[in-house]
Amino acid sequence: MLEHAVAFLVRAYYAYTLAGCLFAILFVIRGVQMVDVQARGAGVGFRLLIFPGVIAFWPLLLRRWFEADGEAPAERNAHR
Amino acid sequence: MSHRYAGISWNPQKRAYDLMVAAGVVLYLVTFLALSSLLHPAATAETLLIRGFGSCAFLLLNVVLCIGPLCRLDSRYLPLLYNRRHLGVTTFLLGMVHGAFSLFQLHTLGDSDPLISLFTANRNYQSLADFPFQPLGFLALLILFLMSATSHDFWLRNLTPRVWKSLHMLVYAAYGLLVAHVTLGLLQSERSPWLVAAMGTSLALVLSLHVAAARKERELDDSTPKAQEENYVKVCAVSEIPEKCAKLVSLRGERVAIFKFDGKISALSNVCRHQNGPLGEGRIIDGCVTCPWHGFQYQPESGAAPEPFTEKVSTFRTKLVDGCVWLDPHPLPPGTYIEPSRIGRS
Repeated sequence: MLEHAVAFLVRAYYAYTLAGCLFAILFVIRGVQMVDVQARGAGVGFRLLIFPGVIAFWPLLLRRWFEADGEAPAERNAHR
Repeated sequence: MSHRYAGISWNPQKRAYDLMVAAGVVLYLVTFLALSSLLHPAATAETLLIRGFGSCAFLLLNVVLCIGPLCRLDSRYLPLLYNRRHLGVTTFLLGMVHGAFSLFQLHTLGDSDPLISLFTANRNYQSLADFPFQPLGFLALLILFLMSATSHDFWLRNLTPRVWKSLHMLVYAAYGLLVAHVTLGLLQSERSPWLVAAMGTSLALVLSLHVAAARKERELDDSTPKAQEENYVKVCAVSEIPEKCAKLVSLRGERVAIFKFDGKISALSNVCRHQNGPLGEGRIIDGCVTCPWHGFQYQPESGAAPEPFTEKVSTFRTKLVDGCVWLDPHPLPPGTYIEPSRIGRS
């Protein structure tokens, strides 16, 4: 029972990471400058540095790429 | 500050900081490996490397966690905080080497996937003494990875500061997992009272520093205004504010930094837009309020960062009456210009 549950979670983890890797390659080359204007003209070092994070947060960035306006999401909290 | 992203914005301070961190890590590892090979001649090189990298990562995480409260208690520690994110990334990298060696040595020789083996090789989840401590380390490493991977300012902007800060507060969950990981690991493989004492001391140090810093912050938040009149509250005497520095006050749960500079008084939100750093603990440098954490700057009259940067914080109306500062506690929209109160005209 434990082995089956762990095997399922580990396979889901591998699938998520693999999809994230493929997405991250496209994102750091094309997508990042569409999602954030401050990334326009940014160098290879910046793109490599954000690569692992893109793998981790790829669904969020995929959604932002579809809705891309170049502006960072607005915060709705108080000034503090 | 925002303009165009760079990989790492190097400067002499960051280089010196990183060089010292790298030298400290190398010195620790060499010393640990030399002493361990003398004290445990039967231990394999892999085991010593696993222990060396793991203990170094844990030690560094303790340092990272102590820096925040130390800086709140004494501003002389602020230089340690300046490049703390590199210290955090170094902690993750050391932990990753420890984890990779452990996974390779202990879980790659069987038939099952190494990660599945990590969670299922030891199934004594009901036993405290034999509890499987390795999965705890894996989960902690996962949190440290998320923190390291999002340490660039791109993530701060795109996750929003609130989400980013919440994500990075998970460091305390990682620390708890690692304390359990190390304690259970020590209980199961070592019986040395010195190691247990070292573990207890580091935990007590981290906890006591956090309690002391929280008490200091509580004192500020609990302080009440001295008098109230219409929309303004009397907060302090002008003479209480050091030149080009700020006096921090807490009103309605909001911290406000009241700066004195060039015969003028201006008030800003205490919270830097970068990483929520305490602006009121910074100074006015080149005419701008400068955050003590990473040097983000704001004009004291408007709360706006100088061009071409775009960060803005809220400002507050002030007035001076008989040498005392009165403050309107209602924050104005970030970046709103307010004419400073002039000392000597009250």
